[in-house]
Amino acid sequence: MFDPLAPQGRLAVAALVLALLVLPLVWHDTYVLHLVILSMIFGAFAVAWNLATGFAGLKTFGHHAFFGIGAYFSALVSKDFEITPWITAPVAGLVAACAGLVVALPVLRIRSVPHVAMVTLGFAEIVRVLLTVFRETTRGEMGLWGIPAFDGFTLPVIGEVVFNAAEKVPYYYVAALLFLGTVYATVRMVKSPVGLALVAIRDSQDAAESLGINLTRYKLLVFSASAFAVGLLGAFYAHYILLLTPSSVLGLDLMILVIGMTLIGGVGTLFGPILGAFVLTIGVEAMRGVGEYRMLIYGALIVIVVMFMPRGLVALLDGLGPRFGFGRGVRLATSDDAPRPG
Amino acid sequence: MLEVRGLDVKYGDVQVLWDINLTVGAGEVVAVMGPNGSGKSTILKAIIGLVRSAAGTITLDGRPIAGQPAHAMAGLGVSLVLERRRLFAQMTVLENVRMGAFHPAVRSREKERLEWVESLFPILRERRGQLAGRMSGGEQQMVAIARGLMSGPRLLMMDEPFLGLAPRIVDQIVDIIRRINGEGIAVLFNEQNVHLSFSNAHRGYLLESGRIVLEGSGLAMLEHEMVKRVYLGT
Amino acid sequence: MTLTLFLEQIVNGIILGSMYAIMGAGLALIYGTMRILNFAHGEFYMLGGFFVFFLFAQQGLNPVPAVIIAVAGVALVAAIVQRLTVHVLLKREGWAFSTIAATLGVSIFLQNLALALWGERFQSVPYFVDGLLQVGEFRLPWQRVLIFVVAVAVMGVMAYVLRYTRFGWAVRATAQDPEAAAVVGVPAARIHTMTFALGAALAAVAAALLAPVFAVNPWMGLPLIIKAFVVVVLGGLGSFPGAIAGGFLLGIVEAVGITLTSSEWRDVIAFGMMILFLWVRPWGLFGVKER
Repeated sequence: MFDPLAPQGRLAVAALVLALLVLPLVWHDTYVLHLVILSMIFGAFAVAWNLATGFAGLKTFGHHAFFGIGAYFSALVSKDFEITPWITAPVAGLVAACAGLVVALPVLRIRSVPHVAMVTLGFAEIVRVLLTVFRETTRGEMGLWGIPAFDGFTLPVIGEVVFNAAEKVPYYYVAALLFLGTVYATVRMVKSPVGLALVAIRDSQDAAESLGINLTRYKLLVFSASAFAVGLLGAFYAHYILLLTPSSVLGLDLMILVIGMTLIGGVGTLFGPILGAFVLTIGVEAMRGVGEYRMLIYGALIVIVVMFMPRGLVALLDGLGPRFGFGRGVRLATSDDAPRPG
Repeated sequence: MLEVRGLDVKYGDVQVLWDINLTVGAGEVVAVMGPNGSGKSTILKAIIGLVRSAAGTITLDGRPIAGQPAHAMAGLGVSLVLERRRLFAQMTVLENVRMGAFHPAVRSREKERLEWVESLFPILRERRGQLAGRMSGGEQQMVAIARGLMSGPRLLMMDEPFLGLAPRIVDQIVDIIRRINGEGIAVLFNEQNVHLSFSNAHRGYLLESGRIVLEGSGLAMLEHEMVKRVYLGT
Repeated sequence: MTLTLFLEQIVNGIILGSMYAIMGAGLALIYGTMRILNFAHGEFYMLGGFFVFFLFAQQGLNPVPAVIIAVAGVALVAAIVQRLTVHVLLKREGWAFSTIAATLGVSIFLQNLALALWGERFQSVPYFVDGLLQVGEFRLPWQRVLIFVVAVAVMGVMAYVLRYTRFGWAVRATAQDPEAAAVVGVPAARIHTMTFALGAALAAVAAALLAPVFAVNPWMGLPLIIKAFVVVVLGGLGSFPGAIAGGFLLGIVEAVGITLTSSEWRDVIAFGMMILFLWVRPWGLFGVKER
């Protein structure tokens, strides 16, 4: 997986984190901050999806369900019951985690990748359709608006912090907290005994079973932890964008976007999905010039990466120097899908 | 006729066969005997092209065949009866047998071959319409052998043909191997049991952990000190 | 609700079910031979719709050659896609996932190619046949009768091909045991490409028939591929007869379900059924229970 980082590696990570934290202080462009906020949200989403897919080997295609559940739960509860989003957002994460358990239970009984893909996608579609159908509450595709923003507060030294559409910096730091928190939690999980067990699961189900590792419990744990993170991110997204539609937070497009980010960055690695999220979020903006061909290029890019760069962009980083070391160890195959002769 | 020289096979990073040298002459019955997991099946699969060889040569009548796709081999006169019969369970007996003559090079002689294999295994004619998956193990093995013969092979390979069969059925299969060989067809088979292997073969090989450790005539193998000590416990 | 209206709903459910069946059968054939989930299946459906729109509605070709050319065109596109992507990926490790990812990419690509070529407007295609079949109170447009007749004919032809042709034998043999099929001389790679093209052609047939009913747009494939997923789960992944049965079952259950609730619940009913099936009978109606 990722080997313990060499001192240079630690330094590089520290420099990147510092750059991320200092950025809004030196660059005040609202649009740039917005892009970085989105990159961080999708980056964390991709990391969480990758945790379930790349590490635990639960190849789900319905993680956007948890994003949507988190977003709608937090938005509706804070709006209709006038509870502060600071409370509803983490609760929304827990709700998403519970939903994750509900999905994971049937999924764990199935080994076939296509079945897992379909049942998870089916679950997300059910959530999307339900949110569309109950339009008295959710306003369906008309869009849910009037979602409260995070409440402001006063900090010593810095002074008053307010959250509104014009002021990106407070949102930026909340997003950074969620992003770094997700990444940190993922690293802890991967490096813990549980994480080692996960790697065992991925490489050989039978081997892990013979070692006496309780697969079901770990897979459930990982899946719901991943769902929690994604639900929390969804809730943040709701209180940041302040407008929700079922297709924007529960459409298959969103899932495909996150899958694309992970694949392009490098599936099964820690740094890959993050890199993919930043490259794609900012790259898609940079491609505004090509207008309607953006998604065409995007689709082609996914195919090209899968075909020619199965290890993603992080493989290029590895080429720069092994000291970065966090791109290695990509292996998605299970014993069930070894290459076929002929 | 078949000559394997210096064959190595790897599954990913794991090497399972080392420097295998093996020959089958025309009209010969050859047995490869070895314990479970010694790589017996892999030898046959490498010859037929279901697994790739990492090193070595495989020649048929002096022509190299390593690297040929598996589906071309039926046309070259080599047939493999896979381990545990491996029939097309949802197809009928007749369909299974006729699939044996699928290769374009042998298709034209399907009718006469069908008559031939049904004369070898009369039970197949009675069971033509039955789903192959619903037959007993011995009957399935006959279907599998019949399917392997439909391409009119000069070399019929069988991967553990006696596996999981009752002793009475084993005798029948042994008899069938003799009759097939009597028609001038060379046979190469795998087996874990020393007696079944070497008392039914002209020549035999002993395989241990992916290496051939002993070879000789069937009789010599049966009498060999090492075989006796390790495998017969005497 | 009157009995006639209810009956009409059921008949419509059966007709739509025949389309689900054809979509699902294509997906099942592809899964059966290659063990892959083709996420671009909906886009082959979409392409079929646009080809018919272009040939029949725009160029004014007679519907019969228009549909035939459209279906053949989709099959060709699918064969090329298969050769360039799935064919290569199947030889590598991790193909179960990588083929899903690649076909997802193809799906986005084709959607947006259609968007660039034909725009996002819903394009309507005229009915191939006009008029209504009327029996007493019961009324049914001839177009829907045509859909059903063609669907049943296509299923019949497919069943014949699978049962009696060498290609069909090769497909079934490859699906049941790829190694045994290879050993008797079935060229798996060629069968894979042909099956992929055939599956896409079935989607194109469904699209050609439904284009006059639902209109044509770049995103028309998504709802149908999702239904096709449900169908193959109901029938058992990879089972051709299962997909046919699953298609009709889904069509009828949806029709009954929406007469009891409302049409918005259609998809909830479909997915609920799928998840229920995966829970109690994951190998489907006709599938074989795997290890």
